[in-house]
Amino acid sequence: MIQHSLPDAPVESAGDEFGEFDLTDDDILEAMREIPGYLDITTMDFRAVYHLAHRHALDRLFSGIAAGRLMRREVRPLTPDIPLAEAIPSFVRQGLKSLPVVDGQRRPLGILTETDVLRGLGAETFLALLARVIADAKCIKSEQHHRPVGELMTAPVVSVPLDAGLRELLAAFARHPGRAMPVLAADGRLAGLLQRKVFLSAYRPDRRP
Amino acid sequence: MRLMAYFNKMRGSVHGSPPRVSLPEVLWSWTGAFLGIAAVAWLNQRFFVGTDLTLAIGSLGASAVLVFGAARSPLAQPRNLIGGHVLSALVGVTCWQWLGGEPWLAQSVAVASALALMHLTRTLHPPGGATALIAVIGSDQVHELGYLFVLIPATLGPLVLLAVALLFNNLVAARRYPEFWL
Repeated sequence: MIQHSLPDAPVESAGDEFGEFDLTDDDILEAMREIPGYLDITTMDFRAVYHLAHRHALDRLFSGIAAGRLMRREVRPLTPDIPLAEAIPSFVRQGLKSLPVVDGQRRPLGILTETDVLRGLGAETFLALLARVIADAKCIKSEQHHRPVGELMTAPVVSVPLDAGLRELLAAFARHPGRAMPVLAADGRLAGLLQRKVFLSAYRPDRRP
Repeated sequence: MRLMAYFNKMRGSVHGSPPRVSLPEVLWSWTGAFLGIAAVAWLNQRFFVGTDLTLAIGSLGASAVLVFGAARSPLAQPRNLIGGHVLSALVGVTCWQWLGGEPWLAQSVAVASALALMHLTRTLHPPGGATALIAVIGSDQVHELGYLFVLIPATLGPLVLLAVALLFNNLVAARRYPEFWL
């Protein structure tokens, strides 16, 4: 006896919703059979309530997730002409494993990641480099130190706008192997750097309203 | 195109109505309704037959269906059961007294206004619509009660049903009543 004027559209698109199951009529009817007594709702009523409640739950769980809120603002980006030898200390000082590379207007051109640096030094991973250091102290190609960042960086860079939410960030991190990605202001300039670990720790499924 | 959509809505969807309840559930519902209406009818016979008052009105049969057949329903909760009948009876008696000269109007205004008032007060109880209609259609006996109709039967009748529902529905392991009071 619940009103049947519920909107159809959100119900039809239920399958697109993040983490939401497509419940069949049989699933719902079977569940209703397991509950003793007469439930005066139809399967459509249930699906509509489920869909909307799910969306509210997502909003509650992920309301704190926005690139602009989670990003680190204090980032000193690199420029493409800096030699690698100068770029490496900048990583260490800032405690970051990737740094955006920007032009004169702070527009991102690429991102220099730890992997890019290691590859420039002739190693694929830090452990591969370490193995070679142990075997032969001369393994590091020191002539590489003077190569500019612009030659080694990953470009184009995957970046996100300030208001990117959960879905957008998940998709961006999936397209991008790095540990961090630049967050851009509306004018395309670098606003900050979003670290993957910060993004992950903002996901709090146990949060209550 | 909009017209097509309009007619399409009348076809309903292929989606299911609730499943049939189990046989024990049917028997429990039968027993509850039997006891509820028996209590109302017995009290009526014992105390009200031969007086100007009555306890037995048709809309209590509808209430029994909800209270014993769909005890979980928001429509069957005490707030709705009592509130729905009382408010609808008030509306019905008022409509009879103000608009009784035009019976069709008094009847339709009574039911529609009772429905609206129940919605506004979150006391929607479908049998309330019947109570409002009965207050207008009446019998002469009902009409002579005036606003006393709101107390007897429209408050006392549902109260008897409520008492039986509380005692009976909670005896059954798989049932509980109410889901909420207010």
